[in-house]
Amino acid sequence: MKMLNTLSGFIKERFPLENMNMKSMLMKKVVPVHKLSWAYYLGGLTLLFFIIQVLTGLFLLFYYQPTVNEAYDSVKFITEKVPGGAVIRNMHTWSSSAMILCAIIHFLTTFAMKAFEKPREITWWSGVVLIFITFTFGFSGYLLPWHQLSVNATKVGLQFIGAVGQYLPGVLSELPNKLIEIIQGGPSIGQETLSRFFAIHIVILPLAILAILGVHLLSVQLHGMSKGVSRNVEKTEPFFPNFLIKDFSLWAIVFLILFILSITIPFESFFPYPLTEPYNPLGSTPDGIKPEWYFFFLYYPMELLPFWVIIVAMGVLVVGLFLVPRIFQGTKRKTLRFLSWLAFAYFVIMTVFGEAIFEMIKGVK
Amino acid sequence: MSDFFLLISLPYVAMFSLITVTIYRFKSKKFSLSSLSSQFLEKDKLFWGSVPWHMGIGIIFLGHVVAFTMPKLLQALVSKTNILYILEGIGLIAAMFALGGLVVLFLRRLRNARIQAVTSNMDLIILSLLTLQILLGILVATLYRWGAAWAPSTVTPYLWSILSFRPDVSYVASMPLIIKAHIVIAWVIILFMPFSRLIHIFALPLEYITRLPQIVVWNSRRLKEEVIIAQLEAQSRRHFLKSAFGITTGLILLSIGIADKVIPFFRGPSLSAKEKEEMLKNKLEKMKATIKQKELENERLVNEYIYIADLKDLKTDEGLYFTDYSMKPALAFKDERGLPLLYSAKCTHLGCTVTNKVKNGKLLCPCHISHFDVKTGDVLDGPAPKALPTVKFILMDQSQQIVINPDKSKLNEYKVYIIKEGNT
Ligand code: FES
Repeated sequence: MKMLNTLSGFIKERFPLENMNMKSMLMKKVVPVHKLSWAYYLGGLTLLFFIIQVLTGLFLLFYYQPTVNEAYDSVKFITEKVPGGAVIRNMHTWSSSAMILCAIIHFLTTFAMKAFEKPREITWWSGVVLIFITFTFGFSGYLLPWHQLSVNATKVGLQFIGAVGQYLPGVLSELPNKLIEIIQGGPSIGQETLSRFFAIHIVILPLAILAILGVHLLSVQLHGMSKGVSRNVEKTEPFFPNFLIKDFSLWAIVFLILFILSITIPFESFFPYPLTEPYNPLGSTPDGIKPEWYFFFLYYPMELLPFWVIIVAMGVLVVGLFLVPRIFQGTKRKTLRFLSWLAFAYFVIMTVFGEAIFEMIKGVK
Repeated sequence: MSDFFLLISLPYVAMFSLITVTIYRFKSKKFSLSSLSSQFLEKDKLFWGSVPWHMGIGIIFLGHVVAFTMPKLLQALVSKTNILYILEGIGLIAAMFALGGLVVLFLRRLRNARIQAVTSNMDLIILSLLTLQILLGILVATLYRWGAAWAPSTVTPYLWSILSFRPDVSYVASMPLIIKAHIVIAWVIILFMPFSRLIHIFALPLEYITRLPQIVVWNSRRLKEEVIIAQLEAQSRRHFLKSAFGITTGLILLSIGIADKVIPFFRGPSLSAKEKEEMLKNKLEKMKATIKQKELENERLVNEYIYIADLKDLKTDEGLYFTDYSMKPALAFKDERGLPLLYSAKCTHLGCTVTNKVKNGKLLCPCHISHFDVKTGDVLDGPAPKALPTVKFILMDQSQQIVINPDKSKLNEYKVYIIKEGNT
């Protein structure tokens, strides 16, 4: 009973009913103005890209066919034949990358600004879940065009789960492989996998993200922007309309850039052609299979370090992320900023130089 | 590729810079928008430079605008040869005027120390670009005659393809280098324009529209105050009107742009008969492949053994891909004794398919570079943890009898079959 009481107290504190009205959530909200104010736009930007994803994704659904036979051709049909199809598809790919990038930077800056402090724990937790969902979006969407690169990269990605098996005792060691088969819907990647990933990508994940996004946004509006810096901020600006106007202006500019980018540069121009050929279930895996750039920070260490290191690190990371409001309760913002920079530097280095480092250490090429 | 960059990407960058930087400069007023007239510094040369330049370029510009906006009209006009000659003649003379004026202006900037003081590098760049552009224009007009006749059907559609966000270089891709250069430099000039004093082109009309009302002030305190209030009110009203105007135009443009892409998207493509035929063919082929795949699956479910190849067709240095009983890729080789050698081709590391080419007695998995010994399937190096499993097979002779002890001399007649797990 006591536990129940503490729980309800906890929730009441995070979702104060008396504040749940337009007036205090929209009109009275203010945004602090200081050196790090730019970070307040990142979440909104991620949201913009998400909206673009939903809309362009819906458009793509009009022509995409989720079967092993048709998937590749239907994507090709969209890009080559349907008027405006190329732009919409490019937008979907460009904006997916942009969404993940924004989410990552948003995540790092909120950490650096200690935006997880009481009473904002729920914002933080929902944010962590959101970022996981976003990555899953990326992973599941990657398979859908069904070309060499996408299928083979998915294959390798899934096999990492199987590699956990070697550390499990006895009967359990077969478990991860069983799990892969469940995810794939069969012993190898095929129609079942495509159907599952399709359902996950277009129905399950969007529903999940919408629900959690609701909680996330509600608690952001309830508690207002976190102060972000340690000293006292005197300068603030009203959220409505000043901040919102700026926010939307930024959206407009970003949308314009994205639009022009999608018209002029197809995302796939970064891959060598043979990788975007239709998937061939027989025949050797082509050279240069790798995941999308946003998985590099996971992928290259996986390739280089013993696998158990990765498992342990991942476990610690995931649990750690949820415990952040606890662990860093008393940490100074300066330290948090430093940690964020560290993480960011790691991410950039692995993304940009990961391949070079990998080749250097492995001594290939 | 360079075509793509110069004729598609560059225009968009240029227009983007033109719009954003111009707006920025208008808003910030950090720079003056005039051409920073240096009239007081040296009057004579300015006259002999500026007037012919502005007259000449004005006519040229008008000609280009007509070609871009009313190509049909222009084409109709120049179909009469004498009109064509007259137009081209006027154009050429105007170009000469412009060039002459520009050279005078250029020299003035370079020679006079006082004017140099107000001349930035950007001015010199833009002056050189303009000179070059006019030279190129004259070259185009003389080397590839009668531009007024061919441009409306080539350059104009290209320009419209850019402006309507459906870039298409095919109209101009095969044109001579000089013409392409003329087009590219035009974009470069647009790109640099907002950073240079050329921006003064936009200055006049806009300033006029949005400037404060001029109110005559009498010498009375009360009136003065009223005037100030009136001015403030007018200012805020204008402010509101300006932003409302901006937002509505923006929204209208946005919805036009989106509708322009989205409506045809939903309507779908209209394919030619040939395209339809091609797609259908492609689809049929795919279906056949699927049928084959399903047959393979079925075969593996019902048959006790499955034919892979004739033994004589197997090679030692290049494997034949086939599908094993669990529908996974596998490879068939021949060993030195001439007997078959069958491996699963699924890498034991993370399941990529290994290559079928043997190099130095090794098979490669390209994903994370594992090498396998082709004789035994053992791992030689790389992250793969286990050897490639072998696949069980039997040999049959011509009379469909299972061969227990293969006869060396009859190897060429044998056929290779794989057998179901659990059978021996
Ligand atoms: S999958 Fe073959 S080496 Fe990794």
